[in-house]
Amino acid sequence: MIFEVFRQEKRKDYHVHVGNVHAPNREMARMYAQVVHARRKPAHSLWVVPKEEIAEVDSDDEGVAMGGLTQKEYRWATNYNTDETFAEEIEASQREQEEAERGREEAAEGNG
Amino acid sequence: MSTQRLGAPGDLSEREREAVEALLYQLADDEFVVADRYTDWQCQGPTLEADIAIANIAQDELGHARLWYDLLEDFGYEESELIWERDAADFRHATLCEQSFESGDWADAVVRSYCYDVAEFLQLEALAETSYPRIADRIEKVQGEEHYHREHAQNWLERLCEDDDGTRRVQQAVDDLYPYALTLFEPTAKEADIVELGLRPTSLDQLRSEWYDITGAFLAGLGVSVPEESELDDLVAEQTGRDGDHTDDWQRQYNELTYTYRMLDRTEARRLMADPDEA
Amino acid sequence: MQDHYKRYSMDIEEVKQRAGPREFGPTDDMPEEYRKAATRMIQFHANSEIMGAYIERPFIRQAPSLDRKLAVSAQVQDEIGHGQLLYRAAENLGIKTREQMLDELANGEGKFLNCFHYPLDDWYELPMIMFFVDGAAMRRQATLKRTSWEPYAHAIDKICFEEGFHIKHGESILAELASGTRRDQQRLQEAFDKWWPRILQFFGPTDDQSTHSDFSSAVGLKTMGNDALRTAFLNVYLPKAEKYGLEIPETPAVTFNDDTNRYEVEEEDLDWDEFMQIARNQYPQGVGQIDKRHRTQEAVEWVRDAIENPGAGSAAAD
Repeated sequence: MIFEVFRQEKRKDYHVHVGNVHAPNREMARMYAQVVHARRKPAHSLWVVPKEEIAEVDSDDEGVAMGGLTQKEYRWATNYNTDETFAEEIEASQREQEEAERGREEAAEGNG
Repeated sequence: MSTQRLGAPGDLSEREREAVEALLYQLADDEFVVADRYTDWQCQGPTLEADIAIANIAQDELGHARLWYDLLEDFGYEESELIWERDAADFRHATLCEQSFESGDWADAVVRSYCYDVAEFLQLEALAETSYPRIADRIEKVQGEEHYHREHAQNWLERLCEDDDGTRRVQQAVDDLYPYALTLFEPTAKEADIVELGLRPTSLDQLRSEWYDITGAFLAGLGVSVPEESELDDLVAEQTGRDGDHTDDWQRQYNELTYTYRMLDRTEARRLMADPDEA
Repeated sequence: MQDHYKRYSMDIEEVKQRAGPREFGPTDDMPEEYRKAATRMIQFHANSEIMGAYIERPFIRQAPSLDRKLAVSAQVQDEIGHGQLLYRAAENLGIKTREQMLDELANGEGKFLNCFHYPLDDWYELPMIMFFVDGAAMRRQATLKRTSWEPYAHAIDKICFEEGFHIKHGESILAELASGTRRDQQRLQEAFDKWWPRILQFFGPTDDQSTHSDFSSAVGLKTMGNDALRTAFLNVYLPKAEKYGLEIPETPAVTFNDDTNRYEVEEEDLDWDEFMQIARNQYPQGVGQIDKRHRTQEAVEWVRDAIENPGAGSAAAD
């Protein structure tokens, strides 16, 4: 069986996928994950998940249009510029959205 | 059938223009009204996740309505005239779209959306061959968002029909909605021209027959029965919507829809996004 | 993650000592007192998202343009999404399941923000929630990025990311009405007069009168007091209100104290009896909202039954 391994480098971090291990069962997978993926790289916690249990959606799959294809600007703070200044937490939210928008654009260019 | 590619909006003959308008009103009104009905489920869905999903579907369909209304603007209309100041009796959506939901009747929501989405899928496929370039340009985007809708409805039907009570409710919804679902394939006054001019080269009869085969087989597989094909003509709801004749549910929905616009004495509808041609 | 290995269990003193941004997570064995306090706080927040969505919901249908309809629908959708994130973060504490929390909300035990107990009468009132109340909520949420319960902070990250558009769309509605006809401006002012005291009460009573505040602050769940939050909110939103031509009502009196560098609200000018009635879920209009939520939830109970325990013979619904 294949198990996917997600490593959390230090407390408070998100778990990030780092690879996988072959193992006969869950207990062995936990043991292998430690030596394969946390031997040198720092790890505070590992999630070890049977690969077949992971459901995947891929943007290349037919019929998948995550985030949609028609105009969805109404969902973005960047679409509304009623005033010149906004509360700092609104500005922060907008910066994060701008960054996400750039990410989406880059991904779209990469695909096209 | 040999059809010619039609010209730009300004170059159409009167006959062509009337047919294009009729088709666009039908497309836009269907999407707009069904989407507005779906939003009834916001905050009312069976789970939080289901709530978020139906809201997304509603927004997709509203986005499609926006694309089709925008093509009517090519002929000089504005959103205010196309939606907010138009008489309720001038809307051409099928009466399936306007039916109000009984509280908690999620079976109605998924059966309706299944019937609607399969019909839309077939219609879009037919429209991919349209002779009118402005429609042709927008088909792909709309189609791209429809897979999710169909899959969503099918998944829900499958889940509900794993349960006896669920199956009974789905059957009830099918029985109730069937006459209205058939109105999706009823003609507007310009139907003959729409086909002859190649705006939608496939006839509504043909679409209905394909729709019947697909939905009938799928529902039968879930243990849900549908009427015989020979019965369909007699089953169509008395009010089809395609000629402006609607059920009472529409007048109530319309009143509420236009309430704020009227209360504010608006003469135009506020746009927040770029024109689809410039986006 | 039910099979994590607990390394040590913490007592309250250790919690207070270590309390800091995102300090504790599901792998820490937190004392029950902490888990209960965190559950109460996050559940309140989650409930508020749901009930906030509830009062905005009629305006999806009533929005006066296609784009506005899309935006309102997206906002309500986001709020349900925030509820989803927050109930998950609360569930992580092991005190209550999401099901329990939603049931509590429906049967009137679940608490939520004062402003969402009042219905919105018309479009003029919508920016009172979408701009001022959501703006106040955003102010508070921004400080919760540093809360000590890590799953809560993660949920807040996502909420803050999405929420910016809500307030900006609310401001756009406000600006449109404020630049409308004289009647628009009058009706807007009336809406503002009606909502302003409720908005001032959003942050609750002053710090020295707030009941759960001390413990939550001591264990790092809460990172800023009511007074500081209210001041930070007023610093931005008072000038905004004025900019859109709104007159700030004379009562409740709001004055800026140069010595403390803070806005001070004359507490006696606010209706705290009503506030407390609301806090007990007994305000008549709020009860109406809760009952509606209850009926809605009951009406779809059969769906959850059908998908969670599919089987034969459960057809007792009629």
